[in-house]
Amino acid sequence: MTLPKALTEEQVYHRCPPETLDFDTTDALEDLDQPPGQERILKALEFGAGMAAKGFNLFVLGPSGAGKNELVERFLGQYSADQPVPSDWCHLHNFQNPDKPRAIALPASEGARFRDDMHELVNELKTAIPATFESEEYQTRMQELQEELSRRQQEGLYKIQEEARQSNIAMLTTPAGFTFAPMRDGEVLEPEQYKELSDNEKELVEAKVEELQKRLQQTIQQVPRLRKELRERAHALNEEMVQLTVGGPFDELRQRWAHLPEVVSHLDAVREDVVEHAEAFQDSSNVPTGLLNRYRVNLLVDNADTEGAPVIYEDLPNHQHLVGQIEHRAQQGNLYTDFTLIRGGSLHRANGGYLVVDARRILSHPMAWETLKRVLFSGEIRIESLERLYGLVSTVSLQPEPVPLSLKVVLLGDRMLYYLLSHYDPDFLDLFKVEADFEDDVDRDGESYQLYARMIATMARTVGARELDRSAVARLIEHASRLANDQQKLTAHDRVLKDLLSEADHWAGRASRERIEAADIQQAIDEREYRASRVRERSLEQIRRGMVMIDVQGEQTGQVNGLSVLRLGAMMFGQPSRITATARPGKGQVVDIEREVKLGGPIHSKAVMILSRFLANRYAPMAELSLSASLAFEQSYGGVEGDSASVAETCVLLSAIAGVPLRQSLAVTGSMNQHGEVQAVGGVNEKIEGFFNVCKQSGEVNGQGVLLPASNAEHLMLNGELRQAVREGRFSIYPVSHINQAIELMTGLEPGVAGTDGEFPEGSFNRQVADRLAAFARIAHKHDDQADNGRGDQDDGH
Amino acid sequence: MVTDRQPPGEHRGRVLVLLDGSPPSRSALVAAAELAQARGAEVLGIFVEETNLLRSGGYGFAREIGGSSGQIRPLDTSRIEARMQALAREARAALQQVMLERGIHQALKLCRGHVVNEVLSLARPEDLLIMGRTGWSATSRMLLGSSARSLVRQAPGDVLLWSEYRLHPRGRVVVLLNHDQGANHRAVGTGADLARRHHQPLTILVRTDTGDDSPLSDSFLSDLQQTGLTTRIRLLPMTGAAGIIRALREENATQLVLSRSCRLFNDPQADALLDAMQLPITVTP
Repeated sequence: MTLPKALTEEQVYHRCPPETLDFDTTDALEDLDQPPGQERILKALEFGAGMAAKGFNLFVLGPSGAGKNELVERFLGQYSADQPVPSDWCHLHNFQNPDKPRAIALPASEGARFRDDMHELVNELKTAIPATFESEEYQTRMQELQEELSRRQQEGLYKIQEEARQSNIAMLTTPAGFTFAPMRDGEVLEPEQYKELSDNEKELVEAKVEELQKRLQQTIQQVPRLRKELRERAHALNEEMVQLTVGGPFDELRQRWAHLPEVVSHLDAVREDVVEHAEAFQDSSNVPTGLLNRYRVNLLVDNADTEGAPVIYEDLPNHQHLVGQIEHRAQQGNLYTDFTLIRGGSLHRANGGYLVVDARRILSHPMAWETLKRVLFSGEIRIESLERLYGLVSTVSLQPEPVPLSLKVVLLGDRMLYYLLSHYDPDFLDLFKVEADFEDDVDRDGESYQLYARMIATMARTVGARELDRSAVARLIEHASRLANDQQKLTAHDRVLKDLLSEADHWAGRASRERIEAADIQQAIDEREYRASRVRERSLEQIRRGMVMIDVQGEQTGQVNGLSVLRLGAMMFGQPSRITATARPGKGQVVDIEREVKLGGPIHSKAVMILSRFLANRYAPMAELSLSASLAFEQSYGGVEGDSASVAETCVLLSAIAGVPLRQSLAVTGSMNQHGEVQAVGGVNEKIEGFFNVCKQSGEVNGQGVLLPASNAEHLMLNGELRQAVREGRFSIYPVSHINQAIELMTGLEPGVAGTDGEFPEGSFNRQVADRLAAFARIAHKHDDQADNGRGDQDDGH
Repeated sequence: MVTDRQPPGEHRGRVLVLLDGSPPSRSALVAAAELAQARGAEVLGIFVEETNLLRSGGYGFAREIGGSSGQIRPLDTSRIEARMQALAREARAALQQVMLERGIHQALKLCRGHVVNEVLSLARPEDLLIMGRTGWSATSRMLLGSSARSLVRQAPGDVLLWSEYRLHPRGRVVVLLNHDQGANHRAVGTGADLARRHHQPLTILVRTDTGDDSPLSDSFLSDLQQTGLTTRIRLLPMTGAAGIIRALREENATQLVLSRSCRLFNDPQADALLDAMQLPITVTP
């Protein structure tokens, strides 16, 4: 097997030569409508936005800060522009059932006109009707009515009085009513005088009195009926007058709104109601506002200024903001509401268009998610207060007529949320059938440079940064590859790039430059890294001061430098870890100390098992592997996870078995399969730079290097300092594809390939391992024999 | 020119108030107290036990017919007497209480006979007679009781038909005139007196056939201008009671003054006018 060559500077960094960019500064570049490389999501959006069937709402998934919101808003802004403007919606008083205000749709921009018309009408009613009541005509007619009543009342009494007088009987008033008594010369007769009258006369008087009493009783008892009649006739008169007064304005409105039957029927209902409540208008200074408010229009949705279909982003998607709410007014300590206090929510405003909501936010508000689902399922917006939903209040409130719903909801969220919802919420996939997945990276090739540069130019203008010169764009493209951890990719993460641009702009400003240059980009990268470097510095310091033991020179048996990556917030950095191994005869087991103490994760355990099977298979294919080995990450007090240390662990274990020392100047990373093939791992850039930093602080970097899986080579985007060391041959990066290459690089010994007899060549590394394992087996066998004999002796003793 | 007008504040007459124990008469009592205080006059309460009524209770067949219910109940003298006495006691207590509060000298005259005769025998031309507007007639819904009507026509001095009224910030005292000059002078004088006392402007409504008010207005205005009152003269065609009511409403009338000789009293609708206007009316001889 040939030994791999160390990678060249060109191989560890994919440069973007400024010459490949054919502009001077980003000012020469046009804005980019859609970000490059996002064809999948754009197609999904186009499909979802245009798909009419129910349930085809969208979920845009991608990491936070990827620019999902901006992309969606820009897309929908363009897409919705050609679509029809949806209707206006109004709530009106329901005269049949006041607790259930009606909802009617009007063509866009007519809602406000209708509201103003009704407002005018109310003002007119307020003045015109009282004026009618104050008119001479009305007053006279009413007066006539009242006079007629009192005349009829009095006539009855007067007739009785008159008849009594003619029969010489007085009708007298008592404090509580009337009485009759015989009279002579206008004076009531003394009872003594009355006795002197003849029986005949007395009989006549008494009969007359009795008759008069009965008639008076009848007359008085008719009074309530008369009064009722007056009330009815007065009411009829009021209605007649009001009818005549309001006829004109109402007819005018009816004509104007003849094209909308619902409005016309409402106008008729209002007219009827006004006539019915004619009396309430009698006093112009005191027309009850509650009555007049019922004729007003509550314009819930006004699309007068909307162009195309509405696109609403709800940044606080709680229950009330989504479906709207019924507000209350405090009046003398009481809470009071009517249909004018109904407020629409973002669902109302977005109706007929698009509602964009952040998935995490809607899930974090109580009931909001359930509400959204309910509304989407039912296809209508029903305003219900949260307290009612929870059953906390049972007071009578309004139940506005639901508004039919026709809109697309676009949820934005990270991928985890999408998968969790799909898994745990049975409704989710019914309602959000369109998955729009955001691309994290875009391909890096000659074509994409121009588009990417235009995207950078657009971003720079969005964040208000200076223009970038060509070198700065090139540097940014290179850094985008580093952010993507791939020479063939560029990151599509919007926030990171924008932040970097803003920072570079800041540094350019500090340096009084008119445009951002490569140095400013570099400074922004360096400053960011420096700000986040406290923990990395502490870690390096501990290695420098010997608290954490890492050798970067010399050779050691059973000891190797592995490489690990730490992620803290948005920052990642690599650092070497010492891995050690011991080996002695035993029963073919490799003890993973990390696992034993539960510091190792399952993937790490799997890797150790793979390597122990690899050992057994390679060195004792036909015999028992007599080995008791152990592996440990030294000075590791947190957990260990991942399989990227497999190659290093294999090397160190073999070194411990064979007693062959390993070069400490080389650090190793890479995963390995049961056949010894080396597989790719993550975080290679950080790992290499981490080891380089340790080497650098321990003195001169000379002859150190890193072994990494060959398939990881194209992920390399290493920093300038490291590239310089590579160029000068002081630091080497070896791409290895098989464990044998690693062994040879680490030990300087030929690994050796087993011959047909299964034996490795004399002097080869593998031979040494095999011999040592054979020696272990012999010792173990002997030990077993002794143990068996001992047991036999004991048995004999019984 | 105005010969029979007395200078303000120098009334020597008494304030007579007709009491019958009804709520309107009690309200009239309060008005009487205020007037008496303003004039420095003493108050004489008059309570008349109507003989006709007492007699009517003496018949075995006497019944009372409820004024509102129309119910027929037995009636006898002892019941009427007891009721009268109770009313008299109430009237006395009310009179004493109201007058004592204000420190006004008061007396109650209890008499038995006919209301009109008794009051006329007590009243002197300089006295002011005050009656609650509806009195006993309230029960019958008869608009102006016959006693009140007779007294308005026959009383030697001013008669005030008292009624609770709503205070209006822009209220005016209104005098209603017709062409009888002498009586009009007295009415205008009383009106000016009231207006001054209540710090209200005065309106003189002149009922006219011709629309020509020159003989009236000149003499009145010159006289009234000296008093410093804000006065307005308004001509009114000879309309019925309804027209007058409207005019009074338009003027925001809080007090009405008119002369006994006013032809309005001959109008069959006069009662309607008095009933419709909830405001105190002073009738001058």
